[in-house]
Amino acid sequence: MKRLIEMTNVTKDFLQGDNVIRALKETNFIAYEGELIGIIGPSGSGKSTFLTILGGLQKPTTGKVLLNGKPFSELEIKEKSKIRLKNIGFILQSSNLIPFLTIKEQMVLYNKITKTKVNQEWMDELFLKLDVGKLKDKYPNGLSGGERQRCAIAKALYHQPSVIFADEPTASLDTNRAYEVVKLLAKETKEQKKATIMVTHDERMLEFCDKVYVIVDGVLSERKSEKAS
Amino acid sequence: MKQDDFDAIEVNGTKTKLGLFPAVVNDPTAENILDSRVDVYFFGIENDSFIKPSEHENLTLTGNQVIVDEELKKEGYEIGDLFGVTGKDVKYEIVGFSSKTTYQTAPVVFMSLDTWQTYRYGSENTPDLYSGVVVKGEINNLPSNLLEYTTEDYISTLPGYTAQVLTFSVMIIFLIIITAFVLGIFIYVLTIQKTSMFGVMKAQGISNGYIGASVIVQTFLLVAFGIIIGLVLTTLSGIFLADIIPLAVNAIFYLVITVAFFLFALFGGLFSVNAVLKIDPLKAIGG
Repeated sequence: MKRLIEMTNVTKDFLQGDNVIRALKETNFIAYEGELIGIIGPSGSGKSTFLTILGGLQKPTTGKVLLNGKPFSELEIKEKSKIRLKNIGFILQSSNLIPFLTIKEQMVLYNKITKTKVNQEWMDELFLKLDVGKLKDKYPNGLSGGERQRCAIAKALYHQPSVIFADEPTASLDTNRAYEVVKLLAKETKEQKKATIMVTHDERMLEFCDKVYVIVDGVLSERKSEKAS
Repeated sequence: MKQDDFDAIEVNGTKTKLGLFPAVVNDPTAENILDSRVDVYFFGIENDSFIKPSEHENLTLTGNQVIVDEELKKEGYEIGDLFGVTGKDVKYEIVGFSSKTTYQTAPVVFMSLDTWQTYRYGSENTPDLYSGVVVKGEINNLPSNLLEYTTEDYISTLPGYTAQVLTFSVMIIFLIIITAFVLGIFIYVLTIQKTSMFGVMKAQGISNGYIGASVIVQTFLLVAFGIIIGLVLTTLSGIFLADIIPLAVNAIFYLVITVAFFLFALFGGLFSVNAVLKIDPLKAIGG
């Protein structure tokens, strides 16, 4: 299987007064295509640090991140932004939707920024798969929590990134909606051969993950997933 | 002024006599004459004078014939109508209307200099006097007992004019400055309110340049729409309130205000862009 994103010997230190705090101890991590990976851990354990280093929003103190086999963490901010725009999809807790654009306009924004043609066929397919076709002309504020997250997934998938980061994507949803969203995410990850890294507090969602990692005090370790058991 | 004074003024151009006196006219056919009173200014002019309204330059004013400012049309006067003067037993016949001929905001009534002198000094032993001389061109020689004013200087000597204009000008200038400041701050606040959204956009890989350019373009459009709506409303107000409020459209003034508003809004927009550049996407996504 193809390695889509990986971390090699990554650490992250922060200065707190005169003390150096190591938020992420030496970490090695690989996500292959078609994998939905769950990341769990208590608050302040280093989950967000891990995810943001992986996404190129922070530089590691040591080690490196490779995206699609190419160096990513060492690039300049501008270069990383360009790569993030094309190769990474984000699904955030409060959804990654822009409030004053309709769902369809959110997708088209990517084409405007990258000066590419709208992939109408793929957009319609996504709308159909995620059952958001009737919502495409609505604004995020007019949608329920579940609908918003389904649209956020559609947006994250639209530009066909190789990696998707989902930060607490089910936090604002009831149980049924949360299951629905994660199932969709798992299905799309498999079908589109992406790697999805999902940070969650909700252990019930781990049954859909191919791998589960636990971070405690900055140490990442793999736990046998619910699905594997 | 006397004929000797007039003759002593040497000009490189033309000169004409002008009689000037305020009056209150009324409509003798009105049910209530007191209610029909209107403040006007009587201008006594020579028939070949260049200050005669251009639309009636071929009309010779004789006897009690007068040309009046079209403001009086609003009082119901028409050509051929007669009006009286409060406190005097005299009637004048309207033979024409002129446009934009007001003095101290009062409509002007043009009449022959003889008629004006009769009104001003009475019909018996009427002296050949008038208020001043209007010159078109340059004055080569002016008797020492006379004063010379340019049009602008003369306007500024009108009672209360300078004080009124200064007061309004200061009010308008401060209003524009305050509005421009509020506009700049409004644009800044409007952008800063979207900090978390810009953070998310930056986390997704949308560049500072794209977000900054969008803020500036949207600010420009917002201000352009605002100014267009403002101009339309001002024009409509001018049309519908013309009878109550005199409104002069000064293109340069409008242009200056428009540029000031654009500059301040863009200034606010640039401050916003600076703030956008500093947004840490990490914080926006809770890292």
